[in-house]
Amino acid sequence: MMYVKSLAALFFSLSCAAASLAQAQQTEPAPSQDKADGEDAELKLPRFLLKDDTQKADEEKKDKPNPLKDLEYTPSKDGEVPVHIDAATPGMMERPPLELPEDVAARITFLPEDTISYLKSGKTNAIVRPDKMFKKILAAQSDEQIIAYIKAIMSVDDQMTYKEGRDKASIALDTQAANFNTWRSLRPAELDPAREAGPIALSRYMGGRGGGIPTFAGAPLAKTPEDLIAGEVEVAIVGAPLDMGSGWRDARHGPLAMRVMGRGLGGTDVATMINPGEALNIVDYGDIAIDQMSTERSMKEVRRVVGEIAKTGAVPFIIGGDHSLEYPNVAAMADVYGKGKVGVIHFDAHLDTGRGRPHLMSHGQPIYRLMREAHVRPEDYIQVGLRAHYSKQYYEWQRLIGMRYHTMAEVERRGWDAVLDRVLMEASENTEYLYISFDVDVLDPAFEPGTGTPVSGGLDMREAITIVRRLCAESNVIGFDLVELAPEIDPTYRSTLNANSLVFACLTGMAMRKQGIEDPHFISDLSSDHSRNDFYEEKNRKSDRQTTEDKQGDKK
Amino acid sequence: MRAISSFPAAAFDTALKFAIIIASSLALSVSAAAQDALPGLTKYQQDFIDVPANLSLFGLTKEKLIDRLSGQEPETVRAAVTAMMETLEKRPYKPAAPIERDIAEPLEPAGDYAEIPMNTKAGRYNSSKTLRPAILDEFAREPGIFSVKRYLGETDGIPTFANAPVAVRLEDLVASSVDVAFVGVPLNLGSGWRDAQHAPGALRAMHGLSGYDVYAGLDPALELTLADYGDISVDRLSIDMSVGHVRETVAAMVSAGVVPFIIGGDHSVMYPAVAAMTDTLGSDDITIVHLDAHPNALRGLAHPLVDQNAVSALIEDNLMKGSNLVQLGLRGRDLSDDVLSWLRSQDVRYHTMAEVEERGWDRVMKAALSEAKAGPGRVFISFDMSVLDPAEGPGAGRPEAAGLTMREVLPFLRRLCAETQVAGFGIFDVTPYLDLSYQTPLNANSVLHACLSGIALRKKGLTKDAYLSDLTRRD
Repeated sequence: MMYVKSLAALFFSLSCAAASLAQAQQTEPAPSQDKADGEDAELKLPRFLLKDDTQKADEEKKDKPNPLKDLEYTPSKDGEVPVHIDAATPGMMERPPLELPEDVAARITFLPEDTISYLKSGKTNAIVRPDKMFKKILAAQSDEQIIAYIKAIMSVDDQMTYKEGRDKASIALDTQAANFNTWRSLRPAELDPAREAGPIALSRYMGGRGGGIPTFAGAPLAKTPEDLIAGEVEVAIVGAPLDMGSGWRDARHGPLAMRVMGRGLGGTDVATMINPGEALNIVDYGDIAIDQMSTERSMKEVRRVVGEIAKTGAVPFIIGGDHSLEYPNVAAMADVYGKGKVGVIHFDAHLDTGRGRPHLMSHGQPIYRLMREAHVRPEDYIQVGLRAHYSKQYYEWQRLIGMRYHTMAEVERRGWDAVLDRVLMEASENTEYLYISFDVDVLDPAFEPGTGTPVSGGLDMREAITIVRRLCAESNVIGFDLVELAPEIDPTYRSTLNANSLVFACLTGMAMRKQGIEDPHFISDLSSDHSRNDFYEEKNRKSDRQTTEDKQGDKK
Repeated sequence: MRAISSFPAAAFDTALKFAIIIASSLALSVSAAAQDALPGLTKYQQDFIDVPANLSLFGLTKEKLIDRLSGQEPETVRAAVTAMMETLEKRPYKPAAPIERDIAEPLEPAGDYAEIPMNTKAGRYNSSKTLRPAILDEFAREPGIFSVKRYLGETDGIPTFANAPVAVRLEDLVASSVDVAFVGVPLNLGSGWRDAQHAPGALRAMHGLSGYDVYAGLDPALELTLADYGDISVDRLSIDMSVGHVRETVAAMVSAGVVPFIIGGDHSVMYPAVAAMTDTLGSDDITIVHLDAHPNALRGLAHPLVDQNAVSALIEDNLMKGSNLVQLGLRGRDLSDDVLSWLRSQDVRYHTMAEVEERGWDRVMKAALSEAKAGPGRVFISFDMSVLDPAEGPGAGRPEAAGLTMREVLPFLRRLCAETQVAGFGIFDVTPYLDLSYQTPLNANSVLHACLSGIALRKKGLTKDAYLSDLTRRD
């Protein structure tokens, strides 16, 4: 039976039915409505504590589908699609069938067979809660009202999903446009005076506070892979100002703000007495071209440039930009080091395993795509600091496919030190190489108000600096990104200073590793103890805490 | 004299040498420019550097290029020009087959995207713009606008534009014969600072859009039936996926006899807004008055629609006639000889800030008013926050120094809305987070209130030129 003959007819019937339903409600209020509202009734409990309502909620929970309940964890192999990766995609799962109560079934016997089987299919769950639908059907005063009501549900169902011919399946670009690729056209080197390959110092002076042109960490500029090779560069910091986040936007200005800030990214680290700027060969690699109207279109150029840096042996530090950058960044790592060879630590308030959405890429979906394309195994994905309001099913699915997640709930239950140790252990457990993706919203908004999708109850800077420094010192970091800094949200310097300080923490760790400091959680004895007395009573227990520093001293 | 006498001799010497160098390099560039050609270039290459547009992308003119390359070896000169030509050749679209991989990677095509793929399997592909029919409301209500306030004269509580009652569906607008309905379009893909998505919320939460207007001598909320029609759903990641629904929704409002006041959103929303006017009124019958620092008339972009090409896209898609477009307040970064010449070729009535400086605001305002009145009929106003000076509208996505003041803009809008028949109003590119104060939302609301007062004057038949209430003047 074809219900929808024409849209106009449909709307006409809908509005008639709406009017008569309104009448029905006025004359005959549903019996359950005034259950607890009797005029003289003494209120004993607020409604949400009434027992029968709680039971109702329990029943609803039973109705919720759990497509994962019969599935078991299956280890993933390098370069292969994880077995259960698409087992529970939000919005794309089969709805469980709907059982019609006897009175409802009896009321709708006049409906055609295919309509009844539509109701039983459970598809209506996406549109209206079953108990409310049943109530409406039972309250209807005529068969026509029920028909109009169900027609409306079916019409909405039809409109919500993609339909070939009716809906756009893609976003068309103007292929005739003269400027189709202008945004990523490289400036010919011939237009500048000839120079030898190698990093270019932008400062006029021997010392002082730099030469005025702002660069990351005051580092010299490199423009090409040849510059990186000639300069034997170890770390290339590059901006990727993609600004398509779903909250407040301004991630585009993250790289600029961090360059101009200057503060936080230079000098000697107090915990280790190491100056990473002296220990490492660092450059500013400029920015990567971005199409600000399309995340999808920007991915390829980011992946190309990040790969270009990594191939020279330098470690790319990508400054975002929003978190969709994690996809091209890590994919580039897999391009260079091999699929399944790289583990990732994902610092974030958000899971970023979104999937099944109309857009194939956004800042909520990079991890799914990296695992789906087999760049990284779920077992090698370690998330830290999670606390945004994701549904239970996200965690069920993440556990099923073997991801390592560490929420703020785990921190509340075990304490930060225990979680820190667990993360450090996992970071080097499976893979030789580690990539760190640091979304600044993992920090508490007190420390990082300048971010697009802040979430309360996050890490503080003393926790974050330590874990980042230790990860970079105690594992083989091959790449690092810092994303989602949105400086305009924070009228103070704070968010940008903290972002610089986190980059500095990783650089410190890398410098420690380069210098052969191997002790877990190395802290300089010089900077952590003035040694005029023995307040900590450690003199007789020196072997407990003999540091590399001491060992080096002993050798001398 | 004092400065020179205290100048160390060595420094003076250096300064003198420097002056000589400057003089000689000036002489050099003059002679090079006169020479007009570079040695060693082929005819084809020579033709290439004769086209200014080829060089401007590199920040060069022909004179600068000759200056830079003269004296170089012919091979070096050829290599430089060849590199420039190759760079420009890489700009157009280059189709190529997608890479064959064992695992689908839709985001990594071997060539250029001709279109950006979407996930059509997404279960809720259209859910954000699928309307909820009244029959699915859990509790029925009669159509019509309704108040969300509990008290008489309540100003805060649930915030709505102008503290107006709410209309959820088109039936509500129709049932209450609404004159003006505010509607938010929180599209946030502007080419400057982004935060236009928060403009509807900020304007709802700020006063300035209700109450008495001292110039008109009336309270527009009493003369007109107002409603807050909520927001129109947009795809935050794509203008292209958003325009269709915005256009349909605005057109339905106009068809229902409502004057829509559209609160953007970035200025790309001008496109579906004007298209909706044309769909309902016809492009021959609508005049567009566009107040903006930016003409939004760039062409040749890969994206068919962005804020920077909303005007050229409307003209090229035959949805707006250049001769029916009046632009005011132009200045700043998007302008070029090319853009202005194109606007002229399309018969657009543009008024730059240079014209305001030369003629004075009063005369420019009168010129624009007479152009709007001489137009084919009804008027749509597209107001970009950047038309104001950053002192008065710092929360603008693409601010430009040296703009109009509120005292210039308000009388113009009040007169325009009283003396012509307004079909719709759009305010775009309000970005609240750029302004730590209340100033931008208050001024944006005042802009809307000025036009609203004008519309109320017109409803009362008070349409004579530059009307002012008797009570405000001392005759």
